[in-house]
Amino acid sequence: MASISSNPPGKITVRRVKLERSYERYLWLFMRLSGVAMLILAVGHMVIQHVLNSSTNLTIQFVAAQWDNWGWKAFDILLLWMAIPHGIRGLFNILSDYIHNNGARRVISVILGLFVVATVIWATIAIVLFDPAIVP
Amino acid sequence: MTSLILTVRESIRYRGRSGQYSWLAHRISGLAILFFLVIHVWDTANAHFWPQAYAWSIALFKNPLFGIGEIGVMAAVLYHAFNGIRITILDFKPEWWRHQRASSLITWGLFLVIFVPIAILMFSHMIGHCSELAAAGDSCLRIPAFSDFAQYAR
Repeated sequence: MASISSNPPGKITVRRVKLERSYERYLWLFMRLSGVAMLILAVGHMVIQHVLNSSTNLTIQFVAAQWDNWGWKAFDILLLWMAIPHGIRGLFNILSDYIHNNGARRVISVILGLFVVATVIWATIAIVLFDPAIVP
Repeated sequence: MTSLILTVRESIRYRGRSGQYSWLAHRISGLAILFFLVIHVWDTANAHFWPQAYAWSIALFKNPLFGIGEIGVMAAVLYHAFNGIRITILDFKPEWWRHQRASSLITWGLFLVIFVPIAILMFSHMIGHCSELAAAGDSCLRIPAFSDFAQYAR
């Protein structure tokens, strides 16, 4: 890890610093790692579902055929686990730039945290338990 | 409210140049993806919990109004992905910050080269779908009736 100071202007000095382990730092790292993973997972999902296939001929039968395969289920679960926390953390980072009251920030972070947990659990149950046989 | 107006105005006026526009585009595309993603995830979960609602919603999403939104989501995902990789590389390689301007221009270029053909393809899928329905005497603008999907009710 490195921090930076540019003095004199235009000249960049790189200084190695030791960072303490903290919750914030792991979330910062999670944003980078999930971002790199989603270059494959999310961009891949968009290309497969919206370019190679198209939502103009998407049906529940198509979904049932895909989710008859544990590979596709795993792909979607992995993407879900990365995308929802990444997106909500990003929203929290944006809100933190404009909300300076610590109490309000804490309330928002708890609400958003609960939302992440609820969404991830709900959607994971849906993907795992989805039974292609129920689709006529 | 004045703070919101100030934020929006200064986001555009602030003289951070290319880096500032990348930062702004990264935020806007991120918020747009999140808005879509939350709806998409809860809607897709209905494939298991409420299949009739899911079957109806994906029929509704074939409406060109949603089709335009879908092309917008594609743009947002591609830009956010490429710029996110740029941010990650620069975070770990601060000595490359002197290439901030060049790297942001490369990101925009890469985004355009990949997005434009994809957008044309998606747009042609949409037009094809609408002309197919029009030939059958239907319209792609018609809102599907929920009761038409009763066979998927559990």
